[in-house]
Amino acid sequence: MAKRKRKENIFHKEKALVQSAQEFIESDESQSLEKMREEFVLLTENYSELIDQITLITRISDRLQKKLDQTNDKLSVLNDTLNDKNIELQNTIDDLVKARVGRRATTIVFIFALVLFVFSEALIEPYIDTYADNIYISLAITAVIAMSIKPLEMLVENSMMKSARKKRLEIREEKAGKKDLE
Amino acid sequence: MENLKIEGTKQSPFVDFNASAGKLELSGRSIPENSFEFYNPLLEWLMEYAKAPKEETVLKVYLEYFNTSSSKYILEVLKKLKEVLKVEGAKVRVDWCYDEDDEEMMETGEDYEDVTELDFEYHEIEE
Repeated sequence: MAKRKRKENIFHKEKALVQSAQEFIESDESQSLEKMREEFVLLTENYSELIDQITLITRISDRLQKKLDQTNDKLSVLNDTLNDKNIELQNTIDDLVKARVGRRATTIVFIFALVLFVFSEALIEPYIDTYADNIYISLAITAVIAMSIKPLEMLVENSMMKSARKKRLEIREEKAGKKDLE
Repeated sequence: MENLKIEGTKQSPFVDFNASAGKLELSGRSIPENSFEFYNPLLEWLMEYAKAPKEETVLKVYLEYFNTSSSKYILEVLKKLKEVLKVEGAKVRVDWCYDEDDEEMMETGEDYEDVTELDFEYHEIEE
């Protein structure tokens, strides 16, 4: 409502002039050629004034639209760059997390393999020596432990990566939720 | 004739119309809630001034930004100022000032000059 009122006010003078012209047409004065001429001169002057206004407003408006368009283009390029940088950053973070998780998985599996080796040497070896006395059995056990290291490491690494991704997703969702609340 | 001075705000420009010196100034931002209400006193003042102006009248316009409705009224201000020229020997000059990186504002001044056919001088203001 307020906006509409404001628009009416902008062309306050012009509206008053149109109304005056309409009243003149309806009045007896319009029969007089001289008065008609005076009114016509007044209307012509105001029409000319309006043309000046429209010319100026159109030029200013066109220039502003051009500026807006250029600013939008610049923003679009900046947005694309920002997206690329974001993807780059995301990949770097992924690589860093992968390296950290990989190191942790190697340590865990190495300790686990060491425990298994000590376990086999301390508990299983004496049984083999007592009941089977076969060097190939103990070698086979050691080989199984050694061969299981790599798959085990991959398994632990994948599991830890999944956990890290889930944690990151939760943090991101939490941040997005906070932003929405703001 | 009394001078007209209106302090500028975030939405309306600073106005200093000094009749005795013939120096008029309009500067700042012009995005008033109601342009008619703001500019009508200026137009009325100019109508009075045009009856007995100084030999030389200089209007300094240094606007940072103005909206469409203000652009209409600025044109009316300039047209009213042009009426000063009807008085014999009276001169009018518009000092159109703009920030150095604001080429659009300079071009806007050129548009006003085209339409009003007043004498414009352009001043680039270093920030």
